[in-house]
Order: sequence, then structure tokens, then C-alpha cells
Amino acid sequence: MVEKVLRKDNWLNFIQALTDARDLWLPVKDGSMQKFAPYSEENKGALEEYTNSDVPPKVAVFPQTETMFRFQLGGQQVELPEGEKGKVFLGVRPCDARAMSIVDSVFQWDEDDTYYSDRREKTILIGLACHEPFLNCFCTSLEGSPGSTQGLDVLMVDLGESYYLKAVSDRGNSLLQEIGNVLDDASDEGKQADEIIKNAEEKIVRKIETGDITEKLKQLWEDPLWKQVSQSCLGCGACTYLCPTCHCFDIQDEVEGYEGRRCRMWDTCMNSEYTLHASGHNPRPSRRDRTRNRINHKYYYYVEKFDKIACVGCGRCITSCPVNIDIIDILSRVKEAL
Amino acid sequence: MSESFEPNIVAFLCNWCSYAGADLAGTSRVKYASNVKVIRVMCTGRVNPLFVMNALQQGADGVLISGCHPGDCHYMEGNMYARRRFGLLKELMEFIGVDPRRIHMSWVSASEGGKWKEVVEKVVEDVSEVGPFEQFKRDKINW
Amino acid sequence: MVEQTTIRQKAKEIVAREDVRHLIGWRKGTFGYRVSPYWVETPEDAEELIFSPLCSPNLTNYLTLEEKLPLPKGEEPDRRKTALLVKGCDSRAAVQLLAEKGIEREQVVLVGLPCQGVIDQLKLEEKYPEGSSGVNAEWNGETIRFTFPDGEKEFAREEILADDCLSCRYPNPVLADEMLGEEVEAWSDGKNAGVEELEKASVADRWAFWEKEFSRCLRCYACRNVCTMCYCEDCILERLNPNWMFRSVNHSENTAFHIARAFHLVGRCVSCGECERVCPAGIPLGKLNQKLVKEVREQYGFEAGVDPESIPFQASYNPQDQEDFIL
Repeated sequence: MVEKVLRKDNWLNFIQALTDARDLWLPVKDGSMQKFAPYSEENKGALEEYTNSDVPPKVAVFPQTETMFRFQLGGQQVELPEGEKGKVFLGVRPCDARAMSIVDSVFQWDEDDTYYSDRREKTILIGLACHEPFLNCFCTSLEGSPGSTQGLDVLMVDLGESYYLKAVSDRGNSLLQEIGNVLDDASDEGKQADEIIKNAEEKIVRKIETGDITEKLKQLWEDPLWKQVSQSCLGCGACTYLCPTCHCFDIQDEVEGYEGRRCRMWDTCMNSEYTLHASGHNPRPSRRDRTRNRINHKYYYYVEKFDKIACVGCGRCITSCPVNIDIIDILSRVKEAL
Repeated sequence: MSESFEPNIVAFLCNWCSYAGADLAGTSRVKYASNVKVIRVMCTGRVNPLFVMNALQQGADGVLISGCHPGDCHYMEGNMYARRRFGLLKELMEFIGVDPRRIHMSWVSASEGGKWKEVVEKVVEDVSEVGPFEQFKRDKINW
Repeated sequence: MVEQTTIRQKAKEIVAREDVRHLIGWRKGTFGYRVSPYWVETPEDAEELIFSPLCSPNLTNYLTLEEKLPLPKGEEPDRRKTALLVKGCDSRAAVQLLAEKGIEREQVVLVGLPCQGVIDQLKLEEKYPEGSSGVNAEWNGETIRFTFPDGEKEFAREEILADDCLSCRYPNPVLADEMLGEEVEAWSDGKNAGVEELEKASVADRWAFWEKEFSRCLRCYACRNVCTMCYCEDCILERLNPNWMFRSVNHSENTAFHIARAFHLVGRCVSCGECERVCPAGIPLGKLNQKLVKEVREQYGFEAGVDPESIPFQASYNPQDQEDFIL
């Protein structure tokens, strides 16, 4: 796998090379929000003050609203979407890429979700290693790292005057070779990069112990801690929409006149209609049940099904929760409850 | 906007006064612009202000609500509630950035066929000046 | 100004009462500038209560947010009262709920705390980025004093308070069973509601502004869930039959969502500022709601949440209501 170096004064050529054949998405600032958006004349990216995007890059493979097919009323025909042009996402933090590989297990499980898989195949992820933890990062507690390569095609590390790029997958390898004319070969920059990543790991402050979390959660079904941590929950969807591993969706038909489309959009398990049956019965009628479900899903059910914890420690849920419900706090209570 | 822009205007008319007034304009063979599509409701008090929002979303360029004069409502006070609601809806819409010339309210009684013609002509003129509504119209079904 | 010890003492007394189930207040959050709503069940819990310029959450919301679950046969529902710590705006929310018959007076015990305004976290982060360690804050006359890990800093109130607080007309609770501390003088007549800039802008500029803001909306419904006045069990914003706005996230549906919500709050919004605070996308919803609050007050002479016996605004009319907009 090739290793290259990009001098910072060559940045624009690098961007040009990437946009030539594909859509390039990178982090931009929209008001107070950081998110991924297509590169354009108006949107040249905002990597200088970039920490991590508020909306995770899962939008690359799992957009917030996606049309599944179109139809005409009264007709028998259904029109499927054409495949998309390939996209390159630049500046993906390692935790978010890990999250995508964790979510792959669901979308490529017994039935392959073609909408997801098609995008996953066509999206190239260029990661950017973290120099320091952001506000609520705890990736190292969950087998992650500021320089993890899982799920990425290329990993970039900012060395100050230049970037070190390492190809991780075959796709990443071909990409780096394709744009090789704007890059130089790496010599010992790899070692510098490793130092930076190691320093970043040591700076992480927030930690949890996840050793036997699944076993503990199995025994805590009726524990009063769930009521305590969920009493202030508003039941909004902020934590779920900003979570890189959350993948619930709703499917609705939208009809205008004689045309319509079926589309799927993000849904949240914190909403009161989450498991509302058509009969009116709801097995999870209260916020306590739904909060318990969310934590169990990430740390217990997902582990039982796919042997992975569906949380990467990005901390977005903690930062975005308006009433300060903190997953690290919940997990430490789980630890103490037994 | 080109000369040929014909605005699409949805009108909510109360059954007892404005609808009858519009009907009178018809039977009197009054000529007026034909851009208005009428939806008859029993009283303007029944009109949910979100109908206006929804009409704009679905392709209307302007909306008109017309009812009985205050004091003459068939249901005593329905138009009074409507007056409050639409006063504030216009403020809200104007604050969001929807041109106030798109949303109108009028009192047209059952005998005012002539006034109906004037109201329609005014509304069509205003909306034609502003142009087609694109701000938060629902896109045609596309990907 | 209210002393923390006074609040804790009062909380202990109230929680010890037999007819009170629990008291809801605030306690320090797990990091940075956060404050967490806290349920005091026993007198010992009351030691953790705080009251500072960081205490933004409107606790009245929990009166209607709590689910009434079906009970096992023979079990009676817990009809004990809920006690709440309320600032000026929070008490107005409680009063508005009473006026709309959303709650009953016997259900609540209101502990009133005169408030000098809470901070806007986005404004504070521009001056001092949020860190992991907790931060203390206190009112200090014309400034707010913060104790950061590296020392104390003071910022002027006009620079750091939430927009809704800067135009607050009711810093003292309007209804309370117990009032703690001394009353504070109102510092605003509400005219400066933060909407002047938009009011002066042209219609096209206003749309450009709102279009950009609404494009960030994730439809997470945080604004609706945190609003005390939004407590319909079958909310129009997510109804499927009839489907007022599609669930898909695009410019049309997002705008419709915000118009519908703002309109449902006409004559009911108490300017607590929560909707703007909780929005993960930082949309200035306060401006939208404040504009209508201002219009209702100036053109119709009505203010929400002041008189628990008042008839709700949209359920009433005045024969002399203005009709200059009517053809």
C-alpha cells in the first residue's frame, strides 16, 4: 500500500485532482454547524478550524432523505433511481469511518440493502487523523483511536507543513496512484504520523470501561437507574440523528397529484411512536423504556448479533443533548449498579 | 416575470356570503380574471391558516380568504376568529419572507357581486406583480 | 439574588412534605457549561441543587412530558404534587398551562426564583470555548462572572445573555407558592426583541435569511419537545393522517414545519428561549417566535402566561380587532 506526502502549498492541485473525476465533499461551516457539503466555488471547505462535523459523514452512504422509487398513480411501472456518481469524502475522522464499517453489518446482513451498498461501493473515504480529542471524545475506550484506519480508504495525518497519506484499501491505493502527480513519495513521515497519533491518544480524558458491559446490561433490565437517567429526556431525536452508528429509518409514500415517490428518511428510537403498533399498543411507551432500549441496542443487542459495540466514542450525543444526558455517565452507573 | 404569467390563486370562500357573492357575479355575467380556484367552506372560521401554507406548498401563487362582514357571520363569530388568525398569519408570512401581496383576506357579502370582481382583480394584479411562487413550493417528484 | 443555601433548604422542606412527590430543579452537568434537570426525591438529594446563569432548562416542560402509563390492576395513580423551581419565564409557562387547562393548580407547587437572565451558550463559546471541566457562573450586577479552570473572567450581560433574556419583561415569577430571594427590576420593556434587524430588511432578504437557516434543520423535533406549550399527544407536525407536512427533509417541508409550529404558538409563547437553545443546528427560532409575541402584544394587547384565568388568545376575539389588511 503506497504512502505519500502532500505539501500544503500543493493543496489546491490536490483538490482539483480529486474533483476531476468525482464529487468531492468536505467539511464546511454553516452558521454554527460543521457539516459535509459538496465542494464548489462558494464552498471551498473549512479545514482550518475543523474539529468534527456535527452531522456525521454517514450521509455519504445513508442520506437523510432518499428516494427509493417513483411511480405514477394508476400505472404499473415503478422507476428505480439510477446509480450515483462516485463520491469522495475528505476529512472523515477515524471514528466515523469505523462507525460505517460497524453499520455495514446491518445493511449487508441477510438481505443486501442495495441503496446502501451501491453508495458504499462508490464512496471513497479519505480520513483525517485527530491531533487531540474534541470535547467529548472517548474512542480509545471502544477499540478506536485517533488514527484508526478501519473503514477508511486513505488516512491523512497533518504534519504541520505537509500531510502524510497512507493508502488503507485497494480503492485508496488506486486513488493515490491516480493522483500521484500532485503527491510526493513518503520517506519517514510515517513515523511522525504515528507519534502524533500516539500523543492524541494520550490526551483523551473521558473514558469508560466496556469489558463486560453486555453481561452487566443483561442483568439490569428492571434497575431503577434507567428511570433516573431518562427522567429528563425530552424524546427529541438530536442524539440519534447526530450519531454515526444510528441507522433507524422510516419509509413513507409521498404523493402529489398523480405522481408519487416512496422515500426513506432517518427516524429516531427516542420518539414516542417508535414501536407504536397499529393496534395502539406500544411495548415501549415511556422515555425510560426507549432510553433503556437505545443503550441496550448499542452495547448489548448489537454485540450479541454482530460481535461489535455499536458506539465509536465520538461524543456527539453528549454534546448535543439539551438536558445533559451523558452516555459516559450512564455507563458508569451501569458499572456501579452491580 | 413574462407577460404570459397567469397566477394560480386558491380562494377559500364562506358558503353563506362570499360564495353566494361570487355566484351572483357569475349570474350577472360579470367579466373578471379567471385565475381563482374556489374552495367552498361553511365559514371562514373553519379555515385553518395552515391551509394557506399548504396551498403555497402545492403550487398556488396566491391565496384569498373571503367571508361575511363582521357582525353578519352566519355562525355569529366565525369570521372574528378568522380575522385574528389571518392578521397574524400575514405577519408571520411576511416575517419569513413571503411577499404579503400573496395572501389576502376580504369581506364580500352575498349581494356584492361587483365587489367580488374587484377583489379578484386586485388579488390577481398583486400576485402577477410578485411572480410565480418558488420559495417553499414542493419540488416535482424528483430524486 | 437568591442564595443557593436558601434554595436547598426550601427544597428540603418541600420534599419532606407528604403531599409532594418530588421537586425538579437543576444540578451541575457532567461537563463544560451544562446543567442537568434534577429530580429531588429525598431531602439529602437537595444538596446538589444549583441556581446560576447557566440554568437555562425550562422545567415546567416536564409537567406535560411525563407519560401517564397504564397501571397494574388495583394500583392507584400517584396524585401527589410535583414541585418545580421556576424562573420568571418558567412560571409564565406554568400560568399559560393553567389558563389552557393543561394542568391543574393542585398538581404543582411552584418555587419562584427571580432571575437576572441565563446565558446563550453559543455566545459564550465564542468568547471561551467549552472544555471538559465544569464551570461555575454567577450574576454580578452588570456582568456575569465565570470561574474557568484557569481563573475567573467576567463578561458583560448584553454580550452573553440569551436574546430572549435581553428582552425579558418578567424576570420575577408571576405565580409562585413560595417566592425566594429579592425581586429583581425588569431591565427591558420587550421592545428590543431581537427582531429589528429582520424587520428592517426587505422581504427578499428575509427569505434569503430564513431559507439558509431552515436548510440546516434536521427535523429532530427537539424544539417541539422542549417547548412547554407543545404538548399535544397527536402533534400536527408528525401526523400521517392527514399528512400536513411530509416527513422527508427538504426546503419545502422544513419551512412548513417551522411556519406551522410558530403559528401554533401565537398568543401562547412565553419567550423562555428553550427552542433556540436546544436546536442542534443553531437555527434562531427565538426570533421567529418573538416576532409573533411582539405583534400579539402591540396589536392585540395580549400577553401569554400572565393571567391564569385569561381566555387563550386564539380562542377569543375582540370586535374591535384591527382589519386594515382586509380588502
